[in-house]
Amino acid sequence: MNNQNNIIEIHNLKKSYDKGKIKALNGMDLEIKRGEFISIMGPSGSGKSTLLNMIGALDRADEGFIKVAGIDLMTAKDLNKFRSQEIGFVFQMHNLIPNLSVVENVEIPMYETKLSGKEMRERALELLELMNFSNLSDIINQNPTKLSGGERQRVAIARALVNHPSIVLADEPTGALDSKTGDTILNILKDLHQKENVTIVLVTHEPYVANMAERIFKMLDGKIVEEKKI
Amino acid sequence: MSFTGLIIKNPFRNRTRAALAIVGIAIGIATIVVLGMVTGGLQSATTSTLKAGAAEITVTPIGSSGFESGGGTLNESLANDLLNVSGVANTAGILSASANVTGASTNSTSGSGFGGGRFTVNGIDSSKLSLEGIGSVNGTVYTNGSSNQLILGTTAAKSLNKTVGSNINLFGTNFTVTGIYQTGNFMTDGGAFMSLNTLQNLTSNDGKVSDIAVKVADNANVTTVSQAIQNNYPNQLTTTTAADQANRTNQALSSINTASTGISLLAIVIGGIGIINVMIMSVYERTREIGVLKAVGWRSSRILTMILGESIILTLTAAVVGIVVGVLGVEVILAVIGSSFTAELTVNILLRAIGIAFLVGLIGGLYPAYRASRLAPTEALRYE
Repeated sequence: MNNQNNIIEIHNLKKSYDKGKIKALNGMDLEIKRGEFISIMGPSGSGKSTLLNMIGALDRADEGFIKVAGIDLMTAKDLNKFRSQEIGFVFQMHNLIPNLSVVENVEIPMYETKLSGKEMRERALELLELMNFSNLSDIINQNPTKLSGGERQRVAIARALVNHPSIVLADEPTGALDSKTGDTILNILKDLHQKENVTIVLVTHEPYVANMAERIFKMLDGKIVEEKKI
Repeated sequence: MSFTGLIIKNPFRNRTRAALAIVGIAIGIATIVVLGMVTGGLQSATTSTLKAGAAEITVTPIGSSGFESGGGTLNESLANDLLNVSGVANTAGILSASANVTGASTNSTSGSGFGGGRFTVNGIDSSKLSLEGIGSVNGTVYTNGSSNQLILGTTAAKSLNKTVGSNINLFGTNFTVTGIYQTGNFMTDGGAFMSLNTLQNLTSNDGKVSDIAVKVADNANVTTVSQAIQNNYPNQLTTTTAADQANRTNQALSSINTASTGISLLAIVIGGIGIINVMIMSVYERTREIGVLKAVGWRSSRILTMILGESIILTLTAAVVGIVVGVLGVEVILAVIGSSFTAELTVNILLRAIGIAFLVGLIGGLYPAYRASRLAPTEALRYE
């Protein structure tokens, strides 16, 4: 149960909603090694998003065991600090803050660090440069509402990575993008995985997208029902 | 951008709503400022009526009372007669008349004062100006009996744009301003003084005065002397002491202060409800955003601080707007009506306005901030 190579260890994890009527996770088992790129597939309601929420400590399981980046999430108290230091979220709908500029959006997670304003700005710009913007100087001070969908998602990825997380949780990151823009986003994620050795857990409906990962897990009724190595 | 910068920037993302919230609270703050300034000005004027050296008792004919009486005259000789009343140290007969600067005049014998465009000119023996609270004069005092000299109060001089040496036409006669005085009493400072005989001649009131100022001896009791005058001249004279006048004014000020406190409380309640409404709306609209902030690791206390800070920024902005509007409003109104009344803006008023605004922001923002900080991140992220 305590493999040092595993960054995520989940055993018999259960989570239900609506007073137990909906069993989102029903005895889930999963082990992911540090630096892996895995994808999770499954139909709607199979528990994919609930699983991401558990790994990202956005919600607590009812019972079972879940340890992420060495932290027992069933008993850990300061989950904000855990999220700030260990997890980077990439959502399907980017979720950027509309009244802040691109660079200010990337700075948002760093408010919980001890970095100065200048250091925050430098780190945010550093990340944005990694996102392959052809027009970075033009957009850094623009509001995200003026960007294309692909550009917004790249800003969201920069935001997810800005605190050097050990795990990036991506929930349908290409779901709202056309295939060409989606490819660009996936390539950025893959590059980051290879260069930074970041563990990536990607949830998707698309087999093509899932195939970018090293391992694919299929979920059904709150459990892993199939595992495939690429 | 610093966290403080973020807090300052956020409230104005919906500018119309922020502006409406600010206007609502600013009206309350402006009212508090206006009432405070008026009360302060009246307080200063009242204090100056009790100035050391000034007469403590004003004697007027029965049927007219107080400093601002109108109608009725007294024989000038009564001023000397009153010196025989026990406890009276000094007396001065004063004739008051209204005039406009261009020379048109009315022969009313009203009390001193300057307001509503009427310019009050007082005649008094120059050696007895101290009984009217005039201690020193910038320039020189007029010579008794001179037919073309007068002194102006600071407020009147400012309103009429006159300085020492300026000429001024009153009652069809040209006068030279020999001096400018300041007593602190806006009514006195809004008028002018000249030789008693001159004003009597100009207004056809030879041997008459409007009232008599009585200075009480140091060892005498003002109330006792006041009563003695009334007893010695029953059915002829009535008296008003400066203390009575001050008490009456203080009672009026007390009422204004009570009204001000009531308005402050109303401002807190109404402003607080308005701010709760604005901030609740803001939190609802930003539910998903708050979910993101939690997902990236923000502590609940930081979210609470942000929303509370935004609420306080809104109300402090309203305080600044309210103070500016209140001060400008008072000045504009006084200028429009031509009043010489000086409203006083004190640090106390500013602190009160800012304190109330801060309190409204704090109280109004508390519940929305608490609500935002308690949002479950998964539910917030699902919010459409």
